[in-house]
Amino acid sequence: MSKRFLRPPGARDERHFQASCIRCNKCLVICPYRSVRTGTLFDGFTNMGTPIIDPRRVPCYLCMKCPPVCPSGALDATLTDKRDVRMGIAVIDKKTCYAWQGTLCRSCYEICPLFDEAIAMDDALRPVIDEKKCVGCGMCEHVCPADPSAIIVKPMGEK
Amino acid sequence: MKLPLMRRIAQTAFLCLLVAIPILNEREISFITGTLYSMSIGPVDITDPLSGMQVIMLTLSATRALFVSMLIPILITFVLGRTFCSWLCPQNLFSEISDILSRKVLRQRRALVPPTPIPRWGILALVIVGSLVLGFPLASLISAPGIISLQISTAVFEGTVGLETGLVAFILLAEFFVLRRFWCKYVCGVGTVLGFFRCGKTLKVTFREDHERKCIRCGACSRACQFDLDPVKGKLYPLCHNCGDCIAACAKSTNGKNPLQFRF
Repeated sequence: MSKRFLRPPGARDERHFQASCIRCNKCLVICPYRSVRTGTLFDGFTNMGTPIIDPRRVPCYLCMKCPPVCPSGALDATLTDKRDVRMGIAVIDKKTCYAWQGTLCRSCYEICPLFDEAIAMDDALRPVIDEKKCVGCGMCEHVCPADPSAIIVKPMGEK
Repeated sequence: MKLPLMRRIAQTAFLCLLVAIPILNEREISFITGTLYSMSIGPVDITDPLSGMQVIMLTLSATRALFVSMLIPILITFVLGRTFCSWLCPQNLFSEISDILSRKVLRQRRALVPPTPIPRWGILALVIVGSLVLGFPLASLISAPGIISLQISTAVFEGTVGLETGLVAFILLAEFFVLRRFWCKYVCGVGTVLGFFRCGKTLKVTFREDHERKCIRCGACSRACQFDLDPVKGKLYPLCHNCGDCIAACAKSTNGKNPLQFRF
């Protein structure tokens, strides 16, 4: 299996997505934040032309403009509530996360669009992900001050 | 206005539109968005039947929106034939110009292979099998008009073009030096699929001779045809895409008597 990428909100499971994305660029064009880039051969042959989101570059701001423009059902056009998005799940690397290493930092907690739900602070002021709530938008990964980011969104279906 | 001139204007205008769409979209004017794979004009969606067909085959399902959006090009093709190819397709425009130049520079050559639709049917079958094996709509990577419009969009939005552009360059070079018009004639899947949507009433080039419309056997029609078809002999379809070059050539040679005409 080739490398997994974050797909725009509403994307079906990767196999179904690959089969139904006709590489038309509509989601990229509609995105006001330029979050979506076009996959190239370097991303793998089957990913050429598909929409890819690299959160470290630009995360998804969950404006929900792209699902309805998808012509082929690769993105679920009926998806309107950002809480129902499941692009991936954020995972914290406790060895590099400033808060988990004892330095005060709440960058990811503050930026999370599902504030205090998808990322909560535990009693020791360390961020904790609620996997049921996290939509995988990547805003946390985008703002993480650690380099490389200590919080990374794992695309849906990736082990 | 003469047919070939009208057609060239339509082709050029359409190419300009394909450049204008992403530029306008970038400035957040999005009345028209998309590429030749799928385009939205206001509330109306139009999807390339080849791409749509692949999605339906791969997922064994289709959203209603996808189905409806494929109908517009299919209905237009049922009425007017493959006029998308001849009047709008940017690859056809590039190939036609390259062919005109090639004829001037390298002198006229006949095509190496006689006109036949068999290679394109075989290639479409291969693309479909390939898609099923690879699990994604392979035709999206080898649809020349789609690539051209997608790469214009990519260039505007991301400042680069993808490797697929190489295919368009390869087609033009190969057509210029080796095999005249091979892409549109023997390969293009978009055209093959559009070619399926024909019926008895579809617009066609018709040879009808009577005492008023006398054919002078000058051969101007078949010389004008970039696909080496012979309209007098007939059997033009599914290869002919109704560009009308033969009809214009006939009108010129017979002084408007025109045994060759577009008819429904």
